[in-house]
Amino acid sequence: MIGAATSRSGLRALTKTTILLSVVFLFALSSQTAAQKRFSRNYPAGQNVRLQLLNRTGTITVIGWNRAEVNITATMDAPVANIEPQNLSGTIVINLLRDNPGREVGDVNFTIRVPYYSMVDIETKIGNLSVTNISSGLVRAHISSEGDITLTNLGASAVAAENVMGDIFFDGELAAGGNYRFSTVSGTISLRIPFSSNFKLIATAPSTRNIVLGAFVNPNMSFLGDGRRVVGKWGDGSATITVTDQRGAIQFFRR
Amino acid sequence: MRCEECKELIPAFMDSDLPEEVAAPIREHLGECDDCAAVCEDLTTILDACKIEPSNNILTPNSEKMWLRINNVLEHEVKPLASMPPPPKRRFWHVSLAQLVTAVLAIAALSSVVTIIAFQYYRQMGTDEFSARLTTQSSFEKFLGRFGLIDTPQQARERRIKEQQATIDYWNARVQTRRLQWDSRTREAFDRNLRVIDDSLNEYSTILQQDPEDELSSEMFDAVLSDKMNLLRDFSDL
Repeated sequence: MIGAATSRSGLRALTKTTILLSVVFLFALSSQTAAQKRFSRNYPAGQNVRLQLLNRTGTITVIGWNRAEVNITATMDAPVANIEPQNLSGTIVINLLRDNPGREVGDVNFTIRVPYYSMVDIETKIGNLSVTNISSGLVRAHISSEGDITLTNLGASAVAAENVMGDIFFDGELAAGGNYRFSTVSGTISLRIPFSSNFKLIATAPSTRNIVLGAFVNPNMSFLGDGRRVVGKWGDGSATITVTDQRGAIQFFRR
Repeated sequence: MRCEECKELIPAFMDSDLPEEVAAPIREHLGECDDCAAVCEDLTTILDACKIEPSNNILTPNSEKMWLRINNVLEHEVKPLASMPPPPKRRFWHVSLAQLVTAVLAIAALSSVVTIIAFQYYRQMGTDEFSARLTTQSSFEKFLGRFGLIDTPQQARERRIKEQQATIDYWNARVQTRRLQWDSRTREAFDRNLRVIDDSLNEYSTILQQDPEDELSSEMFDAVLSDKMNLLRDFSDL
């Protein structure tokens, strides 16, 4: 008898605890959802499209698509930021520093779809950047401090990616005469390019001396300064790749 | 009239043996030339003396003594001439105006050709190679540096650091006033990144103290210093 009573009271206590926790969880979830806001806007795009975005903190994801339209969506944490994009003759400008002068704002996470031929220039103080499916004249991704940069399926003729702490990953094709510049202080830089690429290379990793050329090793590549720098040519050397990793490794992969 | 001609004709002039067209220029010359006038006066004095003194007062010439005196006089005049320094040689830098102009034009043409060739050479090179070359010193520059004619790599680096330090101080002051308004996450991220950059700077400084001519470390030092400046500048407007 005593054992059955104890079992029933234990069950009741467990049920109460479960209900209480569920209520707390739902409340927390709803309050979080209420604290987050969403921003969405569309712009028609012409042949010369340029996206210029300056964020404070948060992620930026730019995806190229086969539509003459720019679609901007953002989720904003509290304190919610003002976002006032401008369309200046084909250049979409979003500047969160200008839109929120002198006030602290929460993270803003952007997802932006642009025509695949758009020029993309994105920058943030802290946070990850990602650009995919872009074949244009320019892709620039700059993080003032820390965050990873991921550039995939690119066919741009000028690419620049730089951060202080964080990894940089590039997966794309090199255009003849193109210029590709990757720089970090602490992180790993990985470049995945086709074997048929043509480029001149200056890769510098002074601290680790860890420069892995992979399939691109050839007699035209020279290790200089006790292996701290690799300089050389692959193919006809029409494009230029400059990679600097102060305290990390540089890796090349065949695409 | 030249002095030599005048001196030759002075005795005849004094004897009034010359026609007027010859005597007139001599007269004019004697009025202008003190030297010839002095010769004329001396001769006049001698002639006057000869006229005044009776002929018996005049000593019979002793040819031996006279030639001895003449020799003494000649030696006396020749010795100072021999001891006089030779006339200054024409210095090689004493050039005519035409030579000077030609030399200047040649230098200008040569320097123009060198500049054009250098410009074309650098234009053919890629931007990165160019910037890489700019950061390194040629053997000639090193040679000049050893003699203090141009900055050594270490001196050049110290000068650059000094120049950039002022900018860094400016941005750092702005960051210090702004960071009070940052949230803790931003402050931590900034400090973390600045620490990584400072670690790199210290690492390169140590290497460069051991080997001041390590060009790669010098180049990387500059790059990280630039990163530091960019970090401070980017966070100063937050």
